[in-house]
This record gives sequence, C-alpha cells and structure tokens, in this order.
Amino acid sequence: MFFKRQLPIAIAATIGFLTLFGWFVDEPTIKSFVDDDATQWFDILASFAMFLGALNLLKMQAMKVMKKQKGWQYAALAIAGFAFSFTAGFILLGSYNVEITEFDDPAKVATVLASEINLDEKSTENVLVAVPEGDPYIIETPYFTKNGADNVVEQINAAGGTAHMRATDWGAHISTRGSLFNWMFRFIFTPLSATMFALLAFFVASASYRAFKIRNFEATLLLISGIIIMLGRVPIGGSISAWFILYIVVLALSAGVNTWFKNKTYTLASVVGGVLIVTIAGFIMGWPVDQPAIFYLPVLQDWIYNNPNVAGARAIMIGIGLGIFATSIRYILGIEKSYIGE
Amino acid sequence: MEKFLDFIVRAGSLDRRIIFVVIALVVILPLFFPLGLPIRPTNSSQDVYNAVEELEAGDKALVSFEYGPSTKPEIHPMAIALLRHLFEKDVKVYITCLWPDGQFMAMEALEQVADNQYNKVYGEDYVLLGYRPGAEAVIKGLVSNIRKVFTVDSQGNFLDDIPMMVGVNQVKDFDYLFSASAGYPGTVEWVQYAADPTGVTMSTGTTSIQVNEVMPYVQSGQIVGILGGMPGAAEYESLIGQAGIGTSGMDAQSVAHLVIVGFIIFGNISFFVERRRSKKY
Repeated sequence: MFFKRQLPIAIAATIGFLTLFGWFVDEPTIKSFVDDDATQWFDILASFAMFLGALNLLKMQAMKVMKKQKGWQYAALAIAGFAFSFTAGFILLGSYNVEITEFDDPAKVATVLASEINLDEKSTENVLVAVPEGDPYIIETPYFTKNGADNVVEQINAAGGTAHMRATDWGAHISTRGSLFNWMFRFIFTPLSATMFALLAFFVASASYRAFKIRNFEATLLLISGIIIMLGRVPIGGSISAWFILYIVVLALSAGVNTWFKNKTYTLASVVGGVLIVTIAGFIMGWPVDQPAIFYLPVLQDWIYNNPNVAGARAIMIGIGLGIFATSIRYILGIEKSYIGE
Repeated sequence: MEKFLDFIVRAGSLDRRIIFVVIALVVILPLFFPLGLPIRPTNSSQDVYNAVEELEAGDKALVSFEYGPSTKPEIHPMAIALLRHLFEKDVKVYITCLWPDGQFMAMEALEQVADNQYNKVYGEDYVLLGYRPGAEAVIKGLVSNIRKVFTVDSQGNFLDDIPMMVGVNQVKDFDYLFSASAGYPGTVEWVQYAADPTGVTMSTGTTSIQVNEVMPYVQSGQIVGILGGMPGAAEYESLIGQAGIGTSGMDAQSVAHLVIVGFIIFGNISFFVERRRSKKY
C-alpha cells in the first residue's frame, strides 16, 4: 500500500513544491533543479511515454483484431502501418550512397553514370573534372538497399574507377532525403494527412449551409461576424467597396423598420431615403473603396479580431489559468489522486 | 412567385454532393486561372516584417517548426517566406522542432530556400537541430542550456563541431525568435517559457483558427506581429516581394470563402421562406 499510494503522492508533492518554489526562491540549487534537472527528467519521461504510447496502440489494435470487433480490418491496417514505420525507422536504413573517388577511364565511368543514374551530360562533365582534382563525387540519389548500391560500386570499379558504398548514419537516415522512412513520410503520410485535413473545407461548406441559420439574436451576431471575418481576411474582402456594405446596411435597417412598424410607406421611405443619402455621400466623397472605414470589411475584421475576440480569448485564458492553478494545488497537496488510479 | 419560393425551399435541402462539387471547382479553378487579387498587408504581418528588417547580417534567429503535413498549406508558405527574408538579410538561422513531423517540414523548406535558392552552407549559415520530445520542458531546457537538450543536430553532428554554434548556449543568445505553429506545443509555450523570461523579440505564424488564441499575446506586445494562416503568408510574400504558394492560394481561398458565404445566405433565405410557410399553415 505504501508503495502504491503514499510514496507516489509524496514524490508528486515534493517535486511539485520544489518546482513551484523554484520560481519564487532565489536559491541556486533549487533553481538549477527546476531549470535543468527537472526539465531533463521530463524529457526522459516524455521519451518513455512515446514507447508506452506505441505499445498501448499496438495492444488496443491487436485486441480489436483478435476479438474481431467492429472495424477490425482498420485495426489490422494500423498494425501493418506501425510495423512498416518501425521497420523503416529502426531496421532498414534505406539510405546507401555511392562515392566515386577516382577513375582511370573517364569515358567508361561516364557510361556507367549515364546508364545507372541517368546523369545528364553537363553533370557528368562536372564529375569527370572534379574527381581527378581530388574532389570525390557522391551520387545524390541514395539506394534503398545495400545490394543496389553495391551493384553500382561494382560496375564503377569494373569500369576502372574507385567507388565506395556509404551507409547513412543510424538516426540521420530519418532525415536523409531518399531514405525509406523519409520516402514513407513524403509519399504516404504527407498526402494522407493533407487529404484528411483538406476534407474539412467541404464539410465546413456543407455544414454552414445547413446549420448557420438566423434563429435568434446570438445566432445573427455570430453569422454576421463570421461573414465579416471570412471575407475580411481574404483579398476579395478588400475589393468589396465600403459603399456596397453601406447599401446592404441600409436594406437591413429598412427590413428592421418593416418588422417594427409593419407599414409599407415607412419601409419605402427608409429604403429610398437611405439609398439616397448613401448615394449622395458617395458622390461627394468620390466612392473610395475603403471609406467610410467602419464599413470596409478588412477594417471591420481587424476590429472584431482585436476587440471582442481578444476580450473573449483573455477571459477564456484567465479561466483556464485559474483551473490549472486549482488542479495543480490539488495534485501537490495530494487531494487529486486520479494518477494513481483512485 | 409560388413556384420560385418552392424552388428556394427545395434548394434549401440541396444534396451535399452538389456543394462538394461546387467547392472543389471554386478551389481548383482559381489555381489554374489566377484572378490576381491585390493583397493588403495587415498591421500584424507588417510588424513581423519590421521585426525581421531590424535584424542585421550575422544576427541569430531561432525558428521553431511546429506543424505537420495537415497544416502545411497554411504554415509552410509563411515559413518559406520568412526563411527567404532571413537569408536575404544574411541572418544565421537555427531551427528546432517541437513536433516530430516539423523536422520534415523544416528539411523541405531548407532544401527549397537555403540550398536551392540562396546556396547557404549547412553549419555556417543555418543548422537544423531537429526534434526532441518534451514540449514545454524542451523550451525550458533551451532557455537554460541548449547543449543539455541537443548534444547533436539532426544529422548526428556534435553541436560543438558546428561552426555557427560557437557562443550559442541558450535562447538569450538569439536576436530573434519565430514560431511556425499549428497548435500545442507551439507559440503560446514559446512566449511563456522563452520569449517572456528572456526578453528575446518573438514573432509567430499560426493557422487561422489559432489567431484568436494568440492575439492577446500580440496585443500585449509579448509577440511582435503574427502571420495568420494562408492570408498571413500571402501578405508576408507581398511584403518581401517574392510571390509564392501563399499568394497563389489566396485567389482560391477568396473565391471559396465568397461561395461559402453565398451558400450561407442562400440557406438562410430558404430557411425564412420555409418558416414563413409553416407559420402560415
């Protein structure tokens, strides 16, 4: 019980107090612990958490496959994907380069380069000049397999040249262009991931068409500000004249007059009067696209971003901050014990 | 009139596949037939540009890549534009990644800009430190001592063997910090644990949806400027005078937004007609 309950709570409380006081107490040992040691502990734990996450993923998916639960085929695919990534990342380097250091007969080596890697004439010429000057040439495109690279090395050596196979260092192969892992990331993960995200545009369009309705005052505010942001953020918003928006405002106000008074004469008067006033003002001001500024979409969008939005965001941030503080205190004092399964 | 209203009501329940086709068309067509809409830089984009402009040749900029392929269309263009601006000014660029896929994004951007466009030398003009797990702890570690977090770079070279790492030991040694972020860990963590405690000038580029969350930090001056989504990237491209994928994507995004707004308005007209009819009967 002690090891399962009291000890974890004591560790969490001690470390919690130490890191908290590290911000307020000017003591070099505590400061060094908070700034260096604790962060390094966290890095190590985070690395182990990745392994745990991977194991957990495998366990969950394997259970699904074994129990033939609904959608087990997808789970099988996830396991296969994991196995492939694991193999590409940890087992198969998939990145072997060929380095040419010297040769006797340039023409023969040029033929091998042209047939093996389709090196163009100009590049071949550069290689033939650079190598005799003691500047080794590394064929840029790496080979997936060691055998592939060895074959080219043999061919160059047979043509009177001296070539070596160079395997990319373990670890660096992840970020080496042409390696198996890199290939997987670029040509499988990237397009799949981008496709999933791109689908959002279609769902947003469809959902907003169906759900973005003026049902009440709040929904109307949301709709209007949404439209202003959507148009004001993109260049087309800057091309929409403030006068056009003013005309829309006049029509909207007239609709309000109609709803309020339910009198056609009043409505007609408000439409005609409003349009007339806007038109005269337009002629006087010369119809500048961005004037009056308060009806220019990019300006309106800026205002929404910088005022109501920031006010709301700050309120949320302060709320979250207080929540984090309260939860942290609960953890440090041992009141919150969900992390030990209670 | 009644037939027209019938049509409006029917159109209100438009098959979603038609909407999908329309959206696909309005996104694809402007990519092939650009409209060339003028791009107006916002103040926040201008602030990012000004912050980079203040840097001098040889200054050090720490750029963090915190995005992956899913948010690449929004963040990658601004990362490329920023790198172009930094390399144009001969600023030394140090890159870290708080997301594992960020390293691949950084490699792609560096290959395009540092290697192919500006012929910069790895280790002398730029370095890719790579990815480390740990989120805020990594940032705190970098603030304290870079070498405790990264002993080697992404290529496996020891940091002490890299010429441009001489004299660079912690975040305080940088002149500028930029976070290209698509979420957690990202901009907010960089402000809280690095930029604020050290006083290093920091700017950011985020997805459009994140702007709301980051804006309070921009307004308070803790972040100097923000590039918001693809429009932010396009604005930055126009500021540095090098049109890229952000600019070409703006026409598509503009038309798509306009069409979505059109759909919303049409949906509401249909909703009103339907509601009026249901009240009538």
